[in-house]
Amino acid sequence: MAKEEESENAEKWEAQLRKGSLELAVLASLWNGRLYGLEILRRLENDSDLKVAEGTVYPLLNRLKTLGLVESEWVESDSGHPRKYYRLTSPGRQRALEMARIWRRFSASLSDLLAPLEKEKK
Amino acid sequence: MTISADAQQKIDAYLKVLRRRLRGLSDHDASDIVKEIRSHILDKAAVAEEVTSDSVTSALADLGSPEGLASEYVTDDLLARTQVSGSPWLVLQSLFRWASLSVVGLGTLMFSVFSYFVAGSLALCAFLKPIHPSTAGLWLLDDPQDAYSFSLRLGFSSPPAHARELLGWWIVPLGLSLAMGLVLLTFHLGLWSIRKFWHPLRGLSLTEAHDE
Repeated sequence: MAKEEESENAEKWEAQLRKGSLELAVLASLWNGRLYGLEILRRLENDSDLKVAEGTVYPLLNRLKTLGLVESEWVESDSGHPRKYYRLTSPGRQRALEMARIWRRFSASLSDLLAPLEKEKK
Repeated sequence: MTISADAQQKIDAYLKVLRRRLRGLSDHDASDIVKEIRSHILDKAAVAEEVTSDSVTSALADLGSPEGLASEYVTDDLLARTQVSGSPWLVLQSLFRWASLSVVGLGTLMFSVFSYFVAGSLALCAFLKPIHPSTAGLWLLDDPQDAYSFSLRLGFSSPPAHARELLGWWIVPLGLSLAMGLVLLTFHLGLWSIRKFWHPLRGLSLTEAHDE
């Protein structure tokens, strides 16, 4: 029972961690050019193992647009329906760089702290 | 791309609920969202240029319920607009939504409502002083059990027994200044709390780490 609870807590924590990094992941996925929603989802899934609920990404894109970090445009496609493409704005690129810097610093400092735990595991 | 009648019906039913639940968003934004989600469903459900009832069911399941999706849109949109513009009306709207989602939000809303109530009472008392000069004002009650018991009176009833008025006509400038100060303080505190503590669905916020 305690083990199950422990595992549940770990899963919750992981979900929070994934959600916390989602904004950075979405901004980073747009670094090389415009993408539409489903392409962003696939990029997250393939390049980062960040499988997130689809219902979370679209509202987040809408929020990033309101904040002026991304801009969007409708583009006609061969499939017969238009697609909404997103691209980073100048403040969006700044924000992505800043978040990436913080992420690396945070990750590096945590790695040092976790080193003894890794030894224990071996 | 061909879409079966069943598939089309399912898509329309989902989008109808989504559109209805996108309350608070402008017509233009809500239509844009519905158009984007329709495009997503078609892309996701198309198998060899064909959209079937089963593939739509699977695509809709991945998106979650239309109610849940709309709720995320409304919350995220409200938060973003509050962060960008910071108008008093948006702050209050955000506080009500935040209160429905977390204990911190509920606490902030309760404090804000109490503070606005006190500010409103002070302003009302100041406005009514010229109409009820001998009864409206701040009174110190002579209560044997409590050395300092105050009462803010609007002057509609007779003055309290064994009590004396403290501020006299000073209640007008003091009451109005205090009320204005309290409104400004509460508004900025609400906005600050929203920006600092409310990050819906993003437990670990990188902006928080940056702020610190």
